[in-house]
Formats: sequence, structure tokens, C-alpha cells
Amino acid sequence: MAANQNAQSGLEKEQIFGMAEKEMEYRVELFNKNFLFLIPITPKISVIEISLGGLPTRVLTSALTKSRYKESELNMGENSCIDRCVSKYWHVTNLVGQLLGSGRPGM
Amino acid sequence: MSSNNENKSPSPKEAEKPAIEPIRLPTVEEIRGQDIWNNCAVRSIVSGVMGGGLGLLMGLFIGSLDNPIMQSEMSGKEQFLFTAKQMGRRSWSSAKAFAFMGLIFSAAECVVEKARAKHDTTNTVVAGCVTGGAMSAKGGPKAACAGCAGFAAFSVLIEKFLDRHD
Repeated sequence: MAANQNAQSGLEKEQIFGMAEKEMEYRVELFNKNFLFLIPITPKISVIEISLGGLPTRVLTSALTKSRYKESELNMGENSCIDRCVSKYWHVTNLVGQLLGSGRPGM
Repeated sequence: MSSNNENKSPSPKEAEKPAIEPIRLPTVEEIRGQDIWNNCAVRSIVSGVMGGGLGLLMGLFIGSLDNPIMQSEMSGKEQFLFTAKQMGRRSWSSAKAFAFMGLIFSAAECVVEKARAKHDTTNTVVAGCVTGGAMSAKGGPKAACAGCAGFAAFSVLIEKFLDRHD
């Protein structure tokens, strides 16, 4: 009987771990898809649109073909642009996480 | 020379592109240094001090050029003292003016750029207008407008001149 309980809790742990892994994969994918190009210092970025109603889709676009870059470091305006965008993304991600987390028992 | 990320590639028209460098993340010290430099107060104070230094040098130089009116009646030592005092007065007033200009311009540009979150020439224009208006504010509204327009144009020219890194 003890072995049965152990096996059951083991299974639950496996499930929870699997869910956490999936969520981590989702977050990493989202980050990779939308924000990995923030890491290199050079490209110039301009904020096009930020939507808070749904998921943040494509909030920054790179303007590599249009602008000429004169120095390799980010300017102050670009830094503040990135800060704002990332804070909004973080806010929305937390909201979505909460909604998913609270909606799941009902689903 | 710019490094590319993995999603974009340089246009095939450009010959002799330098090799694509690996992505180098900034170190903690670099980030802290950038944060300190991006602070509006620090930037404006540093610009004000630099403007003051420049004004000092200019005032010294310009003040040494004027000769006293009563040149023939003064001895050499008196002439020297007079010129030295004039240089000091000129350099101090010029230092104050330039420091004020540098402080206001840098503070205005920093605030505008942070508010807009863009790096543009519009920031320079607005900052120049604010500085010109502040410097000529004592002459009334017309003088302030003229100072605004003039200084904005001047600062745009200087910015374009300083940015010729082609």
C-alpha cells in the first residue's frame, strides 16, 4: 500500500514537473521568437505598436535595412524604449500566467 | 562597422563586409556605466561643467585681446594687471553663460529623449529651442522666439557636423 501511494505521488510529481517544463518551454519560445534580437547591441529598433489587450505579438521591429548605424552601443532613447517594452511584456506575461493558472481548475 | 544577429544578413550589394562577430553581451560594469551615463542629472551636470570649462578658456582668450584705453599712460605692470583683471572678469562671465547653456541643453535633450524613447534630431531641435529661449528670455517673448529658432538651427547644424562618421 505504501508502494502504491508512493507511486501515485510520484506520478503527480511527474505531472507537475511536466507542466512546469511545458510552461518553461513556452516562455523560452516566446522569448526567442520576439525578443532574442534585443540582445545584440547594434540593431536600431523602433516601437511600432504595443497591444495590451491580448498577447504581445510583434512589438518591436528591426530597421536594419533602412537605418545606418554609427556606433555599436544603444542610445538612451533606445534603452528607455527597450525598458518600457520589456516591462509591458513582463506585465502581460504575468497576467496571462495568472489567467491560465486560475482558469485551469475550471476548465 | 556593425555586427549582425542571426536573423538578418547584410545586403549582397556591399562588397567586403567584415566577418560577422559573435554576439557579445555587456558586462555588469558596462551596464552600470551605461546606467550612470543615461541618468539625466549626471549628464546635465557633466555637460554644464564642460561648458563652464569651455567658457573659461574662451573668456581668457577673448579677454586678453582687448587693450586698455589709456594704454599710453600706464606702465607695463599696470597694463598687465588691467589685462589680467579683464581676462578674469570676461572668463568668469563667459564660463557662467556657457555652463548655463550646456546644462539646460543637455537636461532638455535628455528629458525629451527619455519621454519619446527615440533617438532622433527632433530631440536636438526641442532642446535647442528651450535653451535659446531660456538664454534670451530677458529680452521679451519676441527675443525668446528668435533665440529659440536660432539656437535650434545652430544645434542641428552642429549635430549633423559631429555625426559624420561615414
